[in-house]
Amino acid sequence: MSSITAPSPAIDPDSPLIPVARGRRRTELVMLIFAFALVAFAFANVGYSLKGRLPSSMAEYLAAFVVITVIGHLAVRRLAPWADPLLLPLAAMLNGLGIVMTYRLAQQGNLLSAPLSPSATGIQILYTAIGVACFIAVLALVREPRVLQRYTYTLGVIGLALLALPALLPSSISEVYGAKIQIRLGTFTIQPEEFAKLALAVSFAGYLVVKRDVLALAGRRVLGIDLPRARDLGPIVVVWAASLLLLVFESDIGTSAVFMGLFVAMLYIATSRTSWLLLGFVMFVAGAFAASRLFGHVGERFDIWLHPFTGSNPEGNAYQLVQGLYGMASGGLLGKGLGGGQPYITPLVQSDLVFTAFGEELGLAGLMAILLIYGLIVQRGLRTAMSVKDPFSKLLAGGLSFMLALQVFVIVGGVTRLIPLTGITTPFLSQGGSSLVASWILIGLLARISDSARRPPPRPIQEEGLTQVVTLK
Amino acid sequence: MNRALRRISVAVLVMFVLLLVNINYLQGFEPASLATKPGNSRAFYASQNEYERGSIMTSDGVTIAASRPSSNANDSIKYQRYYPLGEEYAPVTGYDTLYSQTGIEYYENSVLNGSDASLSVRNFIDLLTGKPRKGASVTVTINSKAQDAAWDALQNDTGGKPGAVVALDPQTGAILATASYPSYDPNLLATHSGTQLNANDHTLLTAPGNPLLNRAIDFTWPPGSTFKIVTSSAYLTKNPGSNTQTSVYSPTQLTLPQTTHILTNNDGEVCGSGSGQAPLIDAFAQSCDTTFASLGEKLGSSTLNDFAGLFGMNSKNLTIPMPVTQSNYVIPASQALTAFSAIGQYDDTVTPLQEAMFAAAIANGGRLMTPYLVQQVTASDLSTVEKTTPTQLSQAVSPAVASEIGQMMLAVVQQPDGTANAFNTSVVGFTMAGKTGTAQNGANNTGLDDAVFTCFAPYDNPQIAVGVIIQGGGYGATAAAPIAVQVIKAYLASLGK
Repeated sequence: MSSITAPSPAIDPDSPLIPVARGRRRTELVMLIFAFALVAFAFANVGYSLKGRLPSSMAEYLAAFVVITVIGHLAVRRLAPWADPLLLPLAAMLNGLGIVMTYRLAQQGNLLSAPLSPSATGIQILYTAIGVACFIAVLALVREPRVLQRYTYTLGVIGLALLALPALLPSSISEVYGAKIQIRLGTFTIQPEEFAKLALAVSFAGYLVVKRDVLALAGRRVLGIDLPRARDLGPIVVVWAASLLLLVFESDIGTSAVFMGLFVAMLYIATSRTSWLLLGFVMFVAGAFAASRLFGHVGERFDIWLHPFTGSNPEGNAYQLVQGLYGMASGGLLGKGLGGGQPYITPLVQSDLVFTAFGEELGLAGLMAILLIYGLIVQRGLRTAMSVKDPFSKLLAGGLSFMLALQVFVIVGGVTRLIPLTGITTPFLSQGGSSLVASWILIGLLARISDSARRPPPRPIQEEGLTQVVTLK
Repeated sequence: MNRALRRISVAVLVMFVLLLVNINYLQGFEPASLATKPGNSRAFYASQNEYERGSIMTSDGVTIAASRPSSNANDSIKYQRYYPLGEEYAPVTGYDTLYSQTGIEYYENSVLNGSDASLSVRNFIDLLTGKPRKGASVTVTINSKAQDAAWDALQNDTGGKPGAVVALDPQTGAILATASYPSYDPNLLATHSGTQLNANDHTLLTAPGNPLLNRAIDFTWPPGSTFKIVTSSAYLTKNPGSNTQTSVYSPTQLTLPQTTHILTNNDGEVCGSGSGQAPLIDAFAQSCDTTFASLGEKLGSSTLNDFAGLFGMNSKNLTIPMPVTQSNYVIPASQALTAFSAIGQYDDTVTPLQEAMFAAAIANGGRLMTPYLVQQVTASDLSTVEKTTPTQLSQAVSPAVASEIGQMMLAVVQQPDGTANAFNTSVVGFTMAGKTGTAQNGANNTGLDDAVFTCFAPYDNPQIAVGVIIQGGGYGATAAAPIAVQVIKAYLASLGK
């Protein structure tokens, strides 16, 4: 074969010069199938462990879960074909594990109190359906992340209103285990803060993207740090005050920390000024410390954290925390196996302490895997933030990713006694609708931003050697 | 903004690393210390749940406690404990509740639930071969026929009076029967419902007659005249050359030393011929209080105390494996009270088990064997994990003295004027030797007398020793002895004798 017959690369019609950007939707599907397999295995594991056979309703539950998430996948194919391929499978896997744990806790109860209602699994799957529907709705309604910037102030007002609502309502409607964080409508409850956090993240992004240049201006220099100008302190003081009000009036330290952390992190991303970070941190710690001195319920949290095993604490205030720790300890390295432990001993294990239930049954190995899944979601989000061009999208993706990380840190750190335990939900794993739906909306926003980040530039219409010919019509 | 984002990523990385390090510490290094922290019930529940609990059965193969799969599908505890013959065997099995155990369920808990170190190799093999996990079973020394007889008699023949029966194999110390009345059904406490358990527990705790009390080993009564076995043992041992025919001081009325108190025999009866002297064997057969009060007074309280100890009294550490309440001989402050103590009054108190031990020691040539309830522990693969070897508790009296006391106990039953003559060989069909006791109690002895009886049979080849106490039963010969006879009859029949 002579070299003459070989076509020159420059004119090979089959090999485009610009590498084809790939949507990687097939990767997403394969990863989803992996998630399905894992959830199916977990379901079967619970059944065999508790009853010695497959759960009778496993097929229905699993089919519903698969259909819901496959619809989500098809929606991504159609609405955000360039979206990050890992976000949906990772979220689906956590969501599926959460459903399995709900099923497991509904099968076997505490000796002194009943197991979860038998319908809990079905309800959790219903919430999953609503969550994925909201995920699709975000993709369908927000075709470009930038459009959200228009609603900066609208969403800011909505977010603050949602946060304040439970505090303003009578306790009979809003109080749950000492914290005023929900709205009860008959048997149905909503935790508005879950949605408030998302609205405020969008609002902060819109506000900061406009004001970042002003906020980045340096004021006086103290100890090598450029302090911001006093006149620019307004927004941070407002957010700080709001977070403290949340702490005091709704007894919701966890959300208060997440809320403040979100704002400070976004402020830092927007301005690159370390001083904002320090200032925010110092303000929050000082505020929380003062609150712990002034308000009993805040101080109690610290006492539980520092001395869970002393005096009457293990049988009293710290009962939930220490039982969670005992559960994790009994799980050890490899866990008791799904259905093999006694997570039901821990009060309310299905919501705030669900992480300890996984620790007891899946062990250290399982918990590390779960934390890595969270870590991967956060990493995909931050990567999206880095690669997206539009500053608003960048700020929003960074803020949402950090918020998810912070939320995981606050609750997982809380139940493992790294930091004081504050009642917030574990994204995707906790039983309950508001948190699940809000988490899916967050994934929807990240998917939308990643779609715009990874979407290739418009392709040249004509390819002819290295010369680009623009055809005007 | 990317530089800030990169730093935020590092912060996120640090947060996740902190979480990972913390759970590694918590689950990798802390479990051992957390397992023993206050309020950690997981290990307890797990130990009760991991294995199917082994069963408890009698030496002749009757199952008295077993586990079966829980009928409640949502039960967090896989197996339900049940007691086929609840009340009858409650003093043996005890109970196994959500939170605690008693009886054999408690003292053999680690082998029953499979956690005992002696089972670890077998458990490991079972794990490898995929066999279902099952704890070891415990075989107790109880003979079901003797136990049935004891329980039936307590239930039906005493008019509902509280009491207890213990039967021993005198040659080994094996407990052949141990029944207590009133009793309770341990099934009530085996419920897996916490609220039900609390309610049932409360009902039993407040029930009249205290059914939870195991009267066979956990309650004491005055031994009454059965203590004369101890007094006679001391006398015959301390006076070499004396024997059953030795004439002893037996007045109709005895003025107690240093007092004006006059002691008479039951109903003022004359002892022996009325001459003031009687052969020891006649005084024993007729159970003359004056004779033995006088003997005891001369022997002194410290000698009586020594012999009471040799028969197993004043022992703080007797376990079968359940700890046995101490039977007491309290050294009296005066000679008059010593005289009382020699006839089983004053502060002398004994358990029904101790009553059986009196007769068992005599039946076994003075050699008192340690009573025990667990015969054997058998792993789920039917291999023997442990087997009890009988041990000697003490040599209460020499074989010669034991033989003389045996003759006197024979006289109690066989001699026409013996207190238990109603149960002589021609009536009951076997040759029994025994001693009756009718213990006065209450303030100024106003309470109903407790009926006490200790005996062994057959006389020439003792197979069983029985102790019976019926609270408020009246005469030992009328209320207690018939129960012992039924137990012996049932046991000897089961042996084919």
